[in-house]
Amino acid sequence: MKKIIALISVLMLNGCAVYDAVTMTKYDPNEYLLITEIKVDATDYADQCDDVNKSKLNAMVLSHKTIMFAAYSENLPSNGDGIKAARALNEIAQGLKERYKSGDKVSPLFCKLKFEGIEHSADLIQHVLGNRPR
Amino acid sequence: MTLDEINNQLASLVNCGDPTFANAAQYVAQAAQAAQSGQLSSQELAETLKDIQRQMEIIQDMNQLQFKEVLNTAINGLLILAGAL
Repeated sequence: MKKIIALISVLMLNGCAVYDAVTMTKYDPNEYLLITEIKVDATDYADQCDDVNKSKLNAMVLSHKTIMFAAYSENLPSNGDGIKAARALNEIAQGLKERYKSGDKVSPLFCKLKFEGIEHSADLIQHVLGNRPR
Repeated sequence: MTLDEINNQLASLVNCGDPTFANAAQYVAQAAQAAQSGQLSSQELAETLKDIQRQMEIIQDMNQLQFKEVLNTAINGLLILAGAL
């Protein structure tokens, strides 16, 4: 009887949602390590925004890591939401790098808001990636 | 839309009870204030506001992924239950 109830419970769920949930990308330690590095770096870099030269270098380093994260996520199968989030995170990081590259004055507050934004987003992504099925 | 109307809308979002929207609205209000006081240039303000949109997208994507994770766990649990009995 319990077997039938369990089977009916699975069948009652929306087909697409079940398919997406069953085929979703499993936990990937490399992906998790990359997002952890991005989060930790962004936390450190947010405190260095008063030093323009250091911050410029920090922006370059972090933008390389977010490119790497987006590129790594890009071809993981059944990873649509992960890919979109990685792209959005990369856009945030590229915005800061481009601002430094343009030669325009970059205010310390803008630098801090950028790194804090990356840190918060990376924290959320890390939390969800860590909960992926093993 | 006037600046006052935008500020009123932000104030209503800050008090809407949803922490995600409240934090975002507070962040927008602070960024606008920083731009008015000259701490952010208009280009920096525009980029900061775009970042908020990007962060909202990330929240949405991660909510979707989290839902699938919970569903995956529930399905596996039901399958184990069905198989064990």
